Amino acid sequence: MKVGSRRIGFVRRDTISGWQAFLISTVSVIVGLIVFSLVFVVSDVSPLTAYREIFGYAFLSPSGFRLVLNRFIFLALCTFAFLIPYRAGLWNIGMTGQVYMGGLAAYGVVYLLGGKTNPNLEVSAWLVLPAMIAAAAAAGALWAAIAGFLKDRWDVNEIVVTMMLNFVGSFIVSHMTKEGGPFMNRGGGSEGFPLPTSLRAPVFADIPFTALFVAVLAVALHLLFTRSSLGFQIRAFGMSPRAAQYAGIRTHRMGLLVFLLGGAIAGLAAYHQFAAVPGVYKIPRDYEIVGDTAFFGIICGLIAQGNALASLPVALLFAAASIGGRAAQGKLHLAFGLDFALMGVLMIVLVGFQFLYRYRLAFRAVGVETPPAGAEAAAEARGRGSEA
Amino acid sequence: MDTDLWANIQPGEELLAARGITKRFANGVLANDHVDFDIRAQEVHALLGENGAGKTTLMNILFGYLQPDEGQIYLRGRPVRFNSPQDALRHGIGMVHQYRKLVPAHTVLENIILGHPKARGVINERRAAEEIAALAESYGFRIDLKAYVWQLTEGERQVVEIIKALYRGAHILIMDEPTSALTPTETEQLLQAIERMTSSNLGVVPFITHKLPVVLRISHRVSILRRGRIVATLKTAETNERELARLLVGRDVIFDVKKPPQEPGEPVLELQNVSALSDKGTPALRDVSFTLREGQILGIAGVLGNGQHELAEVIAGLRPVESGRILFRGQDITRAPVLERWRMGIGYTPAERTEVGSIPDFSLVENVALNHFWDRQYVRSGFLDYGRLRSLTRNILDEFKVVAAGPEARGKTLSGGNLQKVIMGRVLARKPRLLVANLPAQGLDIGAIEFVQQQLLAARSQGTAIILISEDLDEILMLSDIIAPMYEGQIMALLKAEEADRETVGTLIAGGQVRRSAG
Repeated sequence: MKVGSRRIGFVRRDTISGWQAFLISTVSVIVGLIVFSLVFVVSDVSPLTAYREIFGYAFLSPSGFRLVLNRFIFLALCTFAFLIPYRAGLWNIGMTGQVYMGGLAAYGVVYLLGGKTNPNLEVSAWLVLPAMIAAAAAAGALWAAIAGFLKDRWDVNEIVVTMMLNFVGSFIVSHMTKEGGPFMNRGGGSEGFPLPTSLRAPVFADIPFTALFVAVLAVALHLLFTRSSLGFQIRAFGMSPRAAQYAGIRTHRMGLLVFLLGGAIAGLAAYHQFAAVPGVYKIPRDYEIVGDTAFFGIICGLIAQGNALASLPVALLFAAASIGGRAAQGKLHLAFGLDFALMGVLMIVLVGFQFLYRYRLAFRAVGVETPPAGAEAAAEARGRGSEA
Repeated sequence: MDTDLWANIQPGEELLAARGITKRFANGVLANDHVDFDIRAQEVHALLGENGAGKTTLMNILFGYLQPDEGQIYLRGRPVRFNSPQDALRHGIGMVHQYRKLVPAHTVLENIILGHPKARGVINERRAAEEIAALAESYGFRIDLKAYVWQLTEGERQVVEIIKALYRGAHILIMDEPTSALTPTETEQLLQAIERMTSSNLGVVPFITHKLPVVLRISHRVSILRRGRIVATLKTAETNERELARLLVGRDVIFDVKKPPQEPGEPVLELQNVSALSDKGTPALRDVSFTLREGQILGIAGVLGNGQHELAEVIAGLRPVESGRILFRGQDITRAPVLERWRMGIGYTPAERTEVGSIPDFSLVENVALNHFWDRQYVRSGFLDYGRLRSLTRNILDEFKVVAAGPEARGKTLSGGNLQKVIMGRVLARKPRLLVANLPAQGLDIGAIEFVQQQLLAARSQGTAIILISEDLDEILMLSDIIAPMYEGQIMALLKAEEADRETVGTLIAGGQVRRSAG
């Protein structure tokens, strides 16, 4: 585009600093909100009113913020579950199934202790809660490990496997909690049995303790990928499996490793969602909504470019948009599904703006262009490639 | 299009002139510094420069892909500005890329017509075919227009590129590394074709990295670009290989590296009847046996594809052994994992520098870490010691005179020669007892080749046993203590350096009869 004697164009960038990425993300959120305000305009609602409703409910009302926080914890954990394989160049599309398996395993522990028939079960929470958490993590890990193992062993596409295992997982949950399944609530209702009161996860200042999972894992993953030898090996494999093999990294176990780690974190997300969120404490009949929400971990992870710390604000934004959107939909009598539509639009705009992570806007005198940094070296390197 | 721009060209007339071209990139690199360059009718003006000298930038400016910060381009004396490659082509400047930009699934004819300005809407293929055939014939090219591009050899593809440019009205042909992918026969054919083209009023500008004989054979004038500047423009008839090499590198180049005599030490590596398969599953290595001692260089000579690559990978642990044994200092490592071999002191520098030897998107520190992430010196309770890795990287950059922005530069920003230096430096920093160097100097420019060879000799003098794989017979003969010509997966002989000569080795790598062998 020409402006006077100058030309505006996109130029490939070589590196991007943290604050540039932050700026791009912020601008993209604002643009996303502006785009979505069309929905309000056609519904004769002032966009300003609508957004005040949405974000006012999400961040300013105590009840709304509690919901946002719970969803944020769930989303952040699902994001981490996606991130680890992603850094190894593998795609975990199966957080949904891993969450289902984690939830079933956590309740399996309770079931074995007789918690289904005895809502007043007297057991030591100090022993049983860790067992539930461990069972959830182990189940998520093993479920995901199927994909990792098949990838390592026969190079089976992990996207297909994790995706398909979601359907299998959904079927198993349905089998266990509905139609007379072993985990079905005795009172009927086609849902899982309720968690005995003594086994409810501790809550501090309205925040379930599972928030600690997020805090600890965010820091741990950050250190893993920036400092540790293991994280280095995972990243090297993700960038170039052949170079990793050359360097002596155990490439034939990498899929298993990252899917075990990712799946375990999805299992933690399940524990949070089904056994730690106040007011839930069961596998609900509409458990598939939970599974659908888990998918947003993929988007958060992609928008954050695989960076665990950067994924936190993204997960918070989506949590707020979905909770606030749902509230505004009822209050302003808007069409059903507003929350998911808002998340969808934000997502598309954010992903669209990813372009700016790789390119930057540049003003230049007409005709003058800058090549990508390193273009010379790259071109020369290609040159030698053909000679070799 | 200025049709009259190219009317009445006089032989020897200046067709294109670039004056004072300066180009500075966003990262601060001054790629072209007041470059003057011109091309005359009926002339081949070669531009010679090492990797990173600014050749690609100048070429990109001449054909409109980049615009200079300063300076002016003149076409037959008239100032012009090219805003795009299409624009340059409209002005009669054609580009023949080293990477053939042809569609393999299309025919030659379709490729030539594709994207032609006249070929909008309905294309009269028969007429175009006649025009192209006539054009090709006038320059003495023989090419089957109906053949599919995937069926063609590299040389034939290049001819297609040339005809494509000519058909679009090019009067000046810029050729990027024209002979680099060609066989000797194809090179000769190309050189003859260039001679025919320049006998009409065309000007040809080949950009060449290091093939000095080609420059001497083909060009009328040669300009040498070093660090962004033209350091000399010479009449080819008045110069020679040695002078060009000196101008190119900026100092005298020793074409003969002196290899000091040295007594070999204890056996380091022993292969006993080792066989292995290629990626396709066909036998690639057949019954290979040899013993290599400390301080010896074993030169594996041969045309690529005769099992050298598989041999390197088998020793590095990247390829399974079908039968036979590999002993490293007496220990059986036939099935040892890669990492164990690194720990034992086996180092490998792969031929595929960007796909295997390095990770383009990693910083140099991270690329260096590829060979150290398991070493206690650089790992503290599971965490990499980036401080130490950074200073190691700095040492490598200093010691090996790597041109790079610094330890945090991405691998992809380095030229091939500099990248190879980083890979070599990283492996040699481990002080390996055995180094497998797979095509270490392939595709590098003269200065870097000399440097890499000296590093190999330095490692040898410290007692490292070295397997040197190379296609360059002179390099093998110059550096090796033992020479092993390979043909179809077999080692044809083990020749002592003093017994080997070009002819013997040349015969053996072509599958000729073995006269004698030695240990």
